[in-house]
Amino acid sequence: MTVAASGVRTRGAFLALAWSLALVVALVVIPLAVWLLPGNAAFWVSLAAAALVAFTAAAFAYGRRNNGALLVAPAVALLVVMNIFPLLWSLGLSFFRYKANSVQPPAWLGINNFATVLSSPDVWDRLRTTGLIMVLTVSCQLVVGFLLALLFEKQFRGRRVLLMLVLTPMMLSYVAVGAFFRYYYEPTFGLLSQFVRLFTGEPFLLLNTPWGARAGIVFADAWMWSPFVMLLVLAGLVSVPAYLYEAAEIDRASWWRRFRTITFPYIRGLLLLALLFRTIEAFKLFDVVFLLNEGGPGTSNETIALYIYRQSFQYNKTSYATALAYIMLFVVVVLTNLYLYAVNRRAREAA
Amino acid sequence: MSTIALQRLTKVFGDLTAVKAVDLDVAAGEVVCLLGPSGCGKTTTLRMIAGLEQETDGDIRIGGNRVNGQTPAQRNVAMVFQFYALYPTLTVEENLAYPLHADGLSTTEIAARVRTVSTTLHLDTVLQQRPGQLAEGEKQRVAVGRAIVRDPNCFLFDEPLSRLDVQLRERMRGQIKEVLAGLNKATVIVTHDQLEALTMADRIAVMRQGVIEQCASPHDIFAKPANLFVAGFIGTPQMNLLPAVLVGADDCGVRGEASAAIRFRVGDGTARLAVDPAVGRLAPESSVTLGVRPRGLELVSEPQEDSLPARIDLIEPMGAETLLHLVDGKLEFRIVVDRRSGARVGERVNLRFRPGQTHVFDASERRVAS
Amino acid sequence: MAARVVSRDVRQARPGWAALATVVSLIYFFPVFWIILTAFKTYNDALAVPPQWLFTPTLDNFFSVFSRAMTYQGAAVDTGFDLFFFNSIFIAMTSVAIALVIGTAAAYGFSRYPLKGNDTYLFIILTTRMLPPIVVIIPIFIMFREVGLSGTYVGVILLYTAFNLPFTIWMMKSFFDELSREVEDAARMDGSSEVKVFFKVCLPQVIPGLAATAVFGLILTWNEYLFALLLTGVETRTVPVAMGQTIGGAIGVRWGLLAAIETLFLIPVVAVTFLLQNQLLRGVTFGTVKR
Repeated sequence: MTVAASGVRTRGAFLALAWSLALVVALVVIPLAVWLLPGNAAFWVSLAAAALVAFTAAAFAYGRRNNGALLVAPAVALLVVMNIFPLLWSLGLSFFRYKANSVQPPAWLGINNFATVLSSPDVWDRLRTTGLIMVLTVSCQLVVGFLLALLFEKQFRGRRVLLMLVLTPMMLSYVAVGAFFRYYYEPTFGLLSQFVRLFTGEPFLLLNTPWGARAGIVFADAWMWSPFVMLLVLAGLVSVPAYLYEAAEIDRASWWRRFRTITFPYIRGLLLLALLFRTIEAFKLFDVVFLLNEGGPGTSNETIALYIYRQSFQYNKTSYATALAYIMLFVVVVLTNLYLYAVNRRAREAA
Repeated sequence: MSTIALQRLTKVFGDLTAVKAVDLDVAAGEVVCLLGPSGCGKTTTLRMIAGLEQETDGDIRIGGNRVNGQTPAQRNVAMVFQFYALYPTLTVEENLAYPLHADGLSTTEIAARVRTVSTTLHLDTVLQQRPGQLAEGEKQRVAVGRAIVRDPNCFLFDEPLSRLDVQLRERMRGQIKEVLAGLNKATVIVTHDQLEALTMADRIAVMRQGVIEQCASPHDIFAKPANLFVAGFIGTPQMNLLPAVLVGADDCGVRGEASAAIRFRVGDGTARLAVDPAVGRLAPESSVTLGVRPRGLELVSEPQEDSLPARIDLIEPMGAETLLHLVDGKLEFRIVVDRRSGARVGERVNLRFRPGQTHVFDASERRVAS
Repeated sequence: MAARVVSRDVRQARPGWAALATVVSLIYFFPVFWIILTAFKTYNDALAVPPQWLFTPTLDNFFSVFSRAMTYQGAAVDTGFDLFFFNSIFIAMTSVAIALVIGTAAAYGFSRYPLKGNDTYLFIILTTRMLPPIVVIIPIFIMFREVGLSGTYVGVILLYTAFNLPFTIWMMKSFFDELSREVEDAARMDGSSEVKVFFKVCLPQVIPGLAATAVFGLILTWNEYLFALLLTGVETRTVPVAMGQTIGGAIGVRWGLLAAIETLFLIPVVAVTFLLQNQLLRGVTFGTVKR
């Protein structure tokens, strides 16, 4: 082996060693810093350790001419800093008793936070509420979205324009939807109340009962996101080759038969995707609930996200909220996994 | 009765008239092929019979009943699609059984019929598979099976063999013919492959630009083409079409009832050919086109009064025979000879028109015949 | 017998279908329509009982959005929405632009130089997009406070860039995956370096993808609420947050103003969505679903 080649090899080995070493150091230093040092210092030390790892890893990748790693590095770095790092920080936090507004250093609680969270009736109540709203809104979205897709499957004059109209609810900001549906639900001048008043002569109060508010939330959310389901189902409907329908006509198949044997297999995968995607989003539901009625009346419609928000920012039970947030994260990760599995399966089927 | 009758059937798409006042009658048990180049309107005609296209004008009668405006389901026709259109999520067995559900048969009856069809078409081994797992030939047989499993008023085939390779095509041609023979229903097959048409059809309707140029038995289409288009379209290698000028009938020469000897100016030379007597009624100096198939010419050593000189330009071996391309001035000839003829490129030869094998087409491209 | 129209395309609808679709679409669109209508109403008209269908339209609300003063019952009130609009636009465009650059590079890396565990990385990246903001918000909030990024442009842009990255990566990767390698191979054989291949061969072909990704990123960032609520300060506040505050304001909800804001906010979104109709499906599923 030539001197140059051996030089390269040793340099490569050095970089590999440097990188692994930096990683080990970081994994040890960061928890120690969090535990021992006050917040500010802990943060900077952790950041420095992470930066060291990033730097050595980049050098390693560059030395190995690993293009892929290089291209991916900046994005990964940012994501790590802004997402992974806080997530790990959260995880760390949830093992302590930490209140954001107190000057005391955090006390080690182990898994106590998680235990408290999982045994708290409040938490289960919020989970039930969230689950209820989720089921209602996703079902509505699937049904309405499916019907809308059937409507837009055929070609007709003005289809493009009408399709745009139906897609606008998705493009509104949540704030607008929350605000304006509050306006619509308002008992004195809201449109809903005035419409009902034509029949009953009385102002109609929607948001002041738990179920009323629930209906209001579900309606607003389903209205906003049914077009999303429509888009997915429509993609499936449109992808069915016309000659299959022609063959079914020749074979004198009934409408139901045609749907069951031809149409449904093509949209099945997409419906599943829509279901999972909207479920994940519904689980995280915050904006609409907050802006419509702040989760009211009282806390009857407080979704889990809203509950966590309040616990951390109004009651300052930071680590408690973080533990709960982590459990939420776990659920989302599982659902995302399912979602990606469904995406891949559909990609394979379609190929 | 299973018959199809088309009267003045027309289809207009915007500016384009795809089918122009087509008349066609198909008797029970008869197989008619719609043959022609792409865009000639054959598929559109087929789809109108099926009810998948709305006719612009004209009448369609199936089994004697006027079916204009009826849905395909109401017409009770069976169709084999070019792309098979098999239901991808159903097994072969379910695909075959699909049309039978509309007849209200019991499950045992359906199963029995499916079994019969699958045995006939050798599909027993693939009954539980899905179309995605089948070979091309198997898919085609399932498509045919789905059509014959029912009892429709007629059969419609849209380019049934176009997606098969050559050997498979040969086998399926025979098989389809056999299957159809036993069923005694009017059948219309659309194809652009003349070999398919010549072997499978009882009658061929040659179409061009929405019009049926000629509708006759395969033999008549081949031996008595009605016009220049049909003559040039049917037969491989393609017929020689030579512009010529009629000089006049000869007084001396062979004159019989079957043929007349007429002199023509062809290219730089002249030839006295034995052609149909009706040609004699044409005025002298009329422009005509002579049509003679490559096998209707032969090589002779000495120039004769019914031969023309030419030079061999290209030799194409075809296996048992050889195709020679020859030129003489602006004229091009194709002749098929036995492979042992020993021709060489550049050789000067004489082409003799075999007696009675030359067609004459007048200035309006129609064949002159009595 | 009743003739049923059988047309060439089995997808061609019957004549009554367009009418049905129009009715349904208009009903569905109605709440949005009402918002736009309200934008043109005076304060009193907006609260009118019974609802005013015909009214004298006014452009006051629109002017108020941008002028720093608005008369409300005689008093001049600062709306400040011109700043908020600027903030929204600036923050959205910057974060989307940065995300586009590093995200596209990463997408290209994932597509053309698959690493071991590619799928795992992509899964994690998608998860960061799907995870509840609430999980990340607490530590980020603390983090920003410690580092002094709270309420600054830099902080919010940094966050939104990270917010847009997963979606950008997934979208652009799906576009890169669709390119045929043959053209790239030909360029490589002609002696182009990898960098050249990227800039001269791959990138030009995915420009529609870049546009679609940018637009969807803009829409998502534009409408985002929670992070903006917690991480923007008085000077860096975005429109959604400001709108949210307007609702609970002590002055009483100025529905007309709110409607005007939302209408203005909606126009760019609708316009670009119309232009990007073909990529809609890909966009709204964050790049995971193509046609």
